[in-house]
Amino acid sequence: MITLACYNIKGGVGKTASAVNLAYLAALGGARTLLWDLDAQGAASFYFRVKARVKGGSRGLLRRKRKLEAAIKATDYPRLDLLPADFSYRNLDLLLQQQRKPGTRLRKLIKPLRGDYDYLFLDCPPGITLASENVFAAADALLVPTIPTTLALRTLEQLAAFCGDQGYPGLRLLPFFSMVDRRKQLQREIVARPDGLLKKPALGSIPYATEVEQMGLRRAPLETFGRAGAAATAYRQLWAQLQRALASP
Amino acid sequence: MPNAIFFPLPTGERLTGWRDRLVRSNALVADAVQQVRRDFYDSFDGRLSRTGTMLEHERGAHGGELRLRVCDGQRVRAALAWDTEVPRFPAALAPGELRRVLEKRLGPRALLPLASVRLRRFNLRAVDAEDKTRVRVRVESLGLRDSQGRFRVLRKHLCVQPLRGYSKDAQRIVSCLEQDHGLRPLCADLCALILTAAGSHPLDNSAVRAVSLRADMRADAAARRVLQAQLADMQAQEPGLIADLDSEFLHDFRIAVRRSRSLLGELKRLFPRSVQQRFGDDFAWLSAVTSEARDLDVYLLNFAAYRRAVPARLRPGLDPLQALLRDKRQRVHSEQLAVQLQSRRYRAFKQRWQDYLDRPLARRPTAPEAAKPLGAVVRRRSWRRYRRILRQGARIGPESPAEELHGLRKACKKLRYLLDSFAALYPPADLEAAIRILKKLQNNLGEIQDLEVQGVALNRFAMELRRRGEYNANTGAAVAALLETLQRRKTQAREAFETRFRRFARAGNQRLFRRLLKPESAEPPR
Ligand SMILES: Nc1ncnc2c1ncn2[C@@H]1O[C@H](COP(=O)(O)OP(=O)(O)OP(=O)(O)O)[C@@H](O)[C@H]1O
Ligand SMILES: [Mg+2]
Repeated sequence: MITLACYNIKGGVGKTASAVNLAYLAALGGARTLLWDLDAQGAASFYFRVKARVKGGSRGLLRRKRKLEAAIKATDYPRLDLLPADFSYRNLDLLLQQQRKPGTRLRKLIKPLRGDYDYLFLDCPPGITLASENVFAAADALLVPTIPTTLALRTLEQLAAFCGDQGYPGLRLLPFFSMVDRRKQLQREIVARPDGLLKKPALGSIPYATEVEQMGLRRAPLETFGRAGAAATAYRQLWAQLQRALASP
Repeated sequence: MPNAIFFPLPTGERLTGWRDRLVRSNALVADAVQQVRRDFYDSFDGRLSRTGTMLEHERGAHGGELRLRVCDGQRVRAALAWDTEVPRFPAALAPGELRRVLEKRLGPRALLPLASVRLRRFNLRAVDAEDKTRVRVRVESLGLRDSQGRFRVLRKHLCVQPLRGYSKDAQRIVSCLEQDHGLRPLCADLCALILTAAGSHPLDNSAVRAVSLRADMRADAAARRVLQAQLADMQAQEPGLIADLDSEFLHDFRIAVRRSRSLLGELKRLFPRSVQQRFGDDFAWLSAVTSEARDLDVYLLNFAAYRRAVPARLRPGLDPLQALLRDKRQRVHSEQLAVQLQSRRYRAFKQRWQDYLDRPLARRPTAPEAAKPLGAVVRRRSWRRYRRILRQGARIGPESPAEELHGLRKACKKLRYLLDSFAALYPPADLEAAIRILKKLQNNLGEIQDLEVQGVALNRFAMELRRRGEYNANTGAAVAALLETLQRRKTQAREAFETRFRRFARAGNQRLFRRLLKPESAEPPR
């Protein structure tokens, strides 16, 4: 099982949109896929029309009273399952602090799922918290949607530095451009001449497109209704590049 | 994904009828009809099927998909969107889980096409207020082209696909199908079914055995052909049975044994006495050495229903019982079944039986009816059996002992085997109607007896558990509740018998059987 976390310190950059669309594409390609909605807001759960509620909440999950597996719901798409969000996830940090080895709880928690799925996607809330450190310890790679602005690139460098310092040896940082607005000259320039972490090998970029916003109205992955559009095409390319990147060390 | 549950439908029924019924009774949403083609692949030496899987390529209007299907549970192990031809070697597939597993299992072997089926299906689903799907139901018909290019419907079924996290919704549909529509789930290996029917089961190189019969052929020659087909059927089940691939192998094996035995007995005037006695004993022996294993299979196949028959809070109490059954079944299979079917006695029997069936027909046979025309002999026999059933059934009242019902059940089976084995002699529509009528009675009798036997056996196993101290807190109460349900059902079935039999013996039905079976009056009465 390959664990991919859609993560960014910043909010509203397309984490959830990428997690939903990439997980869908993974399942479409034949992989047994699970998407865990770790954000108390429950945006990913909403896209799949699943109630953002887990019996026993995060407390139950962390104490292993309730097995993680019991909370899994099938989505409407073959091979794609969802672990819905729960409002109690907003207190995740507090709860984690009370645990033994609080930094690796998540990794331990997902261990039993390894034989059941080929991919686990984590849709993370923004910020650097104890919960996100758990994500770093559990994931094989961080998929970081990055809006092409100088500020965002700085944040990305900070993230890389943080991961390096804290020592997450197995963790790969895989950033890509997100919500690229072609009308803005600065963004065009940054995408045309990527720098630093985004330089090589570039995973591609997702354009700013109204179809993506429509996912909220349709409550469905982009591929199911907007296949022909630029954004859907970009997500397919992104997924293909990503698989290639994961296959090569 | 949880395993799908199949409910076979009679092939005469219309898919649209079931679709409409389900839409009405369960508020399901129906999608447009879908036609797809499925091609099956394996290596020539069956490397996939030996590991209990099969590669299928499904193609339809929505594109294609390659799937490695787990045969027994109807799960998909790995899949890949694939619109073009299936390559000979998995290395040519896109990288991913499917390719990885295929490369591992196939080694250097190439993929070869085995069979091709067409599926026509309606996809139905139950949705909630958010328009989220909670359970899927497929109404499907499966067909294939035979060697003459004719299209043949192989099977129709309803398939309930539970979705993870929504098991209650699936349960609701399953119990509706069982209770309101009287359907019974079947635990069949769909892959084996398709491949066997297509004549290319890697474990079974015999095609579907259609025996060609004519009413004017010599009766003993015809009977031998039918028995020969049964023997081939038995042999076809052996590898799967010994390897314990699926309970269906044993089931089919036993059917062939019982048929052979029943025909030897029913058509006794066709065979020399010595032949009848000797092979009759052999078949009785085979029946006996396979019966315990089959019984255990049945209990295990029924176990989900047993659980449903017990209040939810007591259900964990049945776990030790299930474990015991599994354990026994394992043991009976490896220590008894597999051993007997590889024994010298079994091999010698097959050789003798085959030799006998191959032997040239005697010009002047000693058996009185051996050289008579098949049609007359079989009809007379079946007619007598039918009238006997009428008499036997009419004698049974509410107080009659269980043995009489059991006797009637056996008689019905004998008639059924005669009708099935010599189906070619009758006009198809009448025969089908007659079998339908007989089957209804058989179902009732079967239910009464099965429930009786199950009750006794489960009680015995429960006592065994207690002796071994493998009881948990709920076991006693759970088993008691289960036995009570079985008992109640049995009483209901027993009470239904009179009506069922009256319907069976209705004047119109009697006329049908008379038309079908009564020997022509031109023949001298016997
Ligand atoms: N490529 C895009 N083009 C246009 N709109 C987009 C695109 N990607 C995301 N959006 C929209 O931007 C908003 C935020 O996106 P999304 O929820 O995916 O970001 P997020 O990083 O998960 O946010 P949060 O930090 O709140 O979890 C949503 O309304 C979404 O529809
Ligand atoms: Mg989000």
